[in-house]
Amino acid sequence: MKVYFKSLGLHLKSLLEYKASFITTFLSQILVFFSYYFTILALFTRFDNIKGFTLYEVLLCFGVIQFGFAFNESFARGIDRFDKLIIHGEFDRILLRPKNIILQAAGYDEDFAKVSRLLQAIIVIVIALVNLDIAWSPLKLITLLLMMVAAVIVFFSIFLLAASYCFITVQGLEVTNVFTDGGKHMAQYPIGIFKKGFVWFFTFIIPYAFVNYYPLLYFIGKINNPIYAFSPLLVFLYLIPCILIFYRGIKKYTGAGS
Amino acid sequence: MSYIEVNHITKSFKVAKKKSGLKEAFKSFFKRDYKIVEAVKDISFSIEKGEIVGYIGPNGAGKSTTIKILSGILTPNSGKCKVGKMTPWLDRKEYVRKIGVVFGQRSQLWWDIPAEDTFDLLKDIYDIPEERYLKTKEELVEKLNLKDIINVPVRQLSLGQRMRCEIAASLLHEPDILFLDEPTIGLDAISKQLVRDFIKRINKEKKTTIILTTHDMSDIDALAKRIILIGKGQVLYDGSLQKLKNNYANKKYIKVNTKDAINIKMKGVLKKVKEKDGYAFIIDSKQLNISDFLNVISKQVQIEDVEIDNENLDNMIVNLYEDLKI
Amino acid sequence: MRAYLSYFRLRFITCLQYRAAAWAGIATQLFFGFVYIMVYMAFYESGSAELPMELPQLITYIWLMQSLLSLVSMFYKDEDIFSLVRTGNIAYELARPKNLYFMWYFKIIGDRLAKVLLRFVPFIIFLLILPVPYRISLPASLPHFLIFIATMTAGSLLMTTIITLYPIITMHTLSEKGIVGIIIAFAEILSGIVVPIPFFPKFLQVISKCLPFQYVSDLPFRIYVGNIGINDGLYGLLIQIIWIFIMGTLGYILMHKSLKKVVVQGG
Repeated sequence: MKVYFKSLGLHLKSLLEYKASFITTFLSQILVFFSYYFTILALFTRFDNIKGFTLYEVLLCFGVIQFGFAFNESFARGIDRFDKLIIHGEFDRILLRPKNIILQAAGYDEDFAKVSRLLQAIIVIVIALVNLDIAWSPLKLITLLLMMVAAVIVFFSIFLLAASYCFITVQGLEVTNVFTDGGKHMAQYPIGIFKKGFVWFFTFIIPYAFVNYYPLLYFIGKINNPIYAFSPLLVFLYLIPCILIFYRGIKKYTGAGS
Repeated sequence: MSYIEVNHITKSFKVAKKKSGLKEAFKSFFKRDYKIVEAVKDISFSIEKGEIVGYIGPNGAGKSTTIKILSGILTPNSGKCKVGKMTPWLDRKEYVRKIGVVFGQRSQLWWDIPAEDTFDLLKDIYDIPEERYLKTKEELVEKLNLKDIINVPVRQLSLGQRMRCEIAASLLHEPDILFLDEPTIGLDAISKQLVRDFIKRINKEKKTTIILTTHDMSDIDALAKRIILIGKGQVLYDGSLQKLKNNYANKKYIKVNTKDAINIKMKGVLKKVKEKDGYAFIIDSKQLNISDFLNVISKQVQIEDVEIDNENLDNMIVNLYEDLKI
Repeated sequence: MRAYLSYFRLRFITCLQYRAAAWAGIATQLFFGFVYIMVYMAFYESGSAELPMELPQLITYIWLMQSLLSLVSMFYKDEDIFSLVRTGNIAYELARPKNLYFMWYFKIIGDRLAKVLLRFVPFIIFLLILPVPYRISLPASLPHFLIFIATMTAGSLLMTTIITLYPIITMHTLSEKGIVGIIIAFAEILSGIVVPIPFFPKFLQVISKCLPFQYVSDLPFRIYVGNIGINDGLYGLLIQIIWIFIMGTLGYILMHKSLKKVVVQGG
């Protein structure tokens, strides 16, 4: 972990070599982020709800998912762009070092401009919370925090799966976009608004529903069963097989697997 | 039992066949053929502690595959390898603490910040105790003359300066074995000399075992007493450089510049090639005296210029590759 | 001209090499299409007073977008061109006997066309056999279809004049991330790729009308589904041609100004 934080520091130091470029990139990220936000805003000027969810309920959902995604883009970029590590042979270098491979890979590349998305996601969450009429309780606070952490973990898990795919081939890697980028786009709305097959897939195969739907229902008071509040914990379990698959991928890469 | 023992190692890869042209591209869009390429076939050798070994062969011969196996990155399909008591790919995490790897064509230094920052990170990666680290670093800085360059962002360094920093970075944890993959590629004569002198020095002082791959025969000449020659995935020669030289020393490369045609059939003329402004010969000086050879030629044709190349390692290797058909 | 065409051919072959990428692209675009459609369906089912487009029209709009995305997307990130600019290796390009602006222009449109041509047929067949609410509709009428083809062609040419500007601007900023990133984000929104133009708030619709972006894809798609009539379509085609001319000239002039700068700096 110490190595990871140290490399984070070095990335920051590298960045400071290019201050002007960083600032404009940071600004452009705000705009890119706005374009996501724009869809929801534009559509809610025409419609006042989507399957019973109001603007601010959807924004909360959106904020949580964007937070999880931006967190990974900012602090685990090396996993997100794992194909680059493989193609340029940088992964060999990681294998030559006596430290945890996942952490090394995560720290290999950082994109601090994406921190601006992280901040914006938090701002959106705050705006949503201010405008929502939440009957606050300690359990609701825990629910919200669990949702945010689960959002980080669900994307980390999927990035790991996508990275594992790189061990087999880097061709057609774009298909993993369906689950990362596509998942992000979809999960910014409560999963429940989609058709059954989709809901099923994104509950049991990739557990977005436990990040932004079941806990949300409890949080906004549509359901009062507190078990929903803890549903994000299932996402934590999901991480375990993803890590195992990644290590299987490494075995395949080094030729020990088959 | 030697320090490094490699026994019957084989490694193969599956690769897609590709052909040129629009039609072929369309075909392979729907159906693709694969073939199995054996990068390394049944390779065995052993290396003693403190040796410097030149590992040479033409491109695609299997050099980097072997290096990757020896450094624990790749697992072979079959065969055994022991370094000390460890098997590189099985004991990877422990093993890599004992080795250093320099890839001449890739960098492990962070591009935008000074090399010293990378060194600090490596200290934590290899868990080097503070005191040891400072001492090793100081030593390396002194020997590689890095004092003025480790505080400059790496991107501002010249290739030679950067390579010296690369080598230092690979030695901070004082490895027992150092793999050098084309360490002098692209360097100027002075930088090459610096790097070679340093490699010799650490080999002598620290008894570091060094495995060197290169296409630059002068590297081999300067550093390695022993070479392992590999071609098409197999070991073709393993022995002293001197012996190889002796074998080929009596082969002379003679270039004769002339406008006339030469017809010569003598014992000892191994090869004749027509070139733009004359002919190139390879003759065996044991069977045929050079002056006799030139005598015969000069009677036949008008010689404009003669060039005799002796003991040129590059030519020797070219001949060797040709003889071995690799 | 022949040199540019053979350049085009080469790009096409390169794209064919990436077979898996093509299939993956189809899968991704299908998925995104379904997500967008379901979101709109959910909104439409939730009821509203005024709807700028009927649902079947909107669904067809979305599928056209997804099947032709490579041809209309404002997003562009070609490492070849950008790294050429960043590293200063662009100086070597000046040594070639061809006009750099047109070389880039053909490279970009070649890439885009190759991607679409590879994916379009299997994609559209799939869309035509989908069950009813999701199926893509046929064009509103034959004249609509003909004008769609004309405006789509002009739209692709317009897209390329805009995208060719990105590396040209990068020649000044030396990084494709900052300002170019901002332009890309604006262009994506204002072209209607994020949300179709009819769903924009009124004031944004006015602004968008004065800019070239909505003429790349929103215009042809809405003509296809019948949301824009024949006369308005022809008028749109005229505006497209004017914009192609303006953006093309702008790019050409800017590039030659930047190149002079590059030469002075000595690369």
